[in-house]
Amino acid sequence: MTTPPAGFTRTELVDPFEIHVGPVFERGSKGARRFALIIDERHLNMRGVIHGGMLMTFADAALGQAAWDVCDHASCVTMTMQMQFLAPAKLGDLVEVTPILTRRTRALMFFRGDFTVRGEAIFSVASVWKILGQD
Amino acid sequence: MSDTHAALPPGAENISRGGFNAYAGPFWRLADEGGAKRYALRVEPKHMNSSGSLHGGVLMTFADIAMSQTSRAVSGASTCTTVSLTCDFTGPGKLGDVVIAQVRVTRQTRTMVFLSAELVCEKRTLGVVTGLWKILEQ
Repeated sequence: MTTPPAGFTRTELVDPFEIHVGPVFERGSKGARRFALIIDERHLNMRGVIHGGMLMTFADAALGQAAWDVCDHASCVTMTMQMQFLAPAKLGDLVEVTPILTRRTRALMFFRGDFTVRGEAIFSVASVWKILGQD
Repeated sequence: MSDTHAALPPGAENISRGGFNAYAGPFWRLADEGGAKRYALRVEPKHMNSSGSLHGGVLMTFADIAMSQTSRAVSGASTCTTVSLTCDFTGPGKLGDVVIAQVRVTRQTRTMVFLSAELVCEKRTLGVVTGLWKILEQ
């Protein structure tokens, strides 16, 4: 079992794929949670840096958790994600993000997130979430 | 694998050699068709979300792998890296689905490759992806 980074606790993941690739850690209160991933061997590509698919999965998980905070666990789905890969991250690196709610409408949530390692930006994402059953 | 699962197309070649590609996969290469490079993923229980659909992270991982492979194939480079990727999630994938990525090159320069991909299952489109790759080593 991976030990949580100092100040973090383990996020309760429910999606089988997130449980498969996790754990994910968090600190802070609902609506302002900061999420963290410790890069291990499973997450690497053949060049020995984190696979883009793993970063995008972590982004979907972290922004999804933040979306859940905003819509109080209503059913919501990712409509679109835009991502920029700024710098590689390596084995053992701690990747952190505090998702930001840019705007919320009745049916949509707009989020962005800047992912950092040791304070340096490595990955950036913007996503739109739809709350199911809302027009 | 239960027999409710669709079969991979004949001639599918496993391209998951290790690392996250193998841990999240396996992913498969298919024969080119209609000017598109094609890849396949069979949706397994580990790929799901809690709503019973294919997890978006798997779809994006599949797109990233298919488009990276295509970048290497068309450029002849040993290493390409993803610079940007946009994914629209247009429909849910289900357990046992065989998802096919149809990848096309929009433009290639000396150092960059612009790509698009459609992720389909039979007649349904699950995702539409565009992305930019940097050629690192020739």
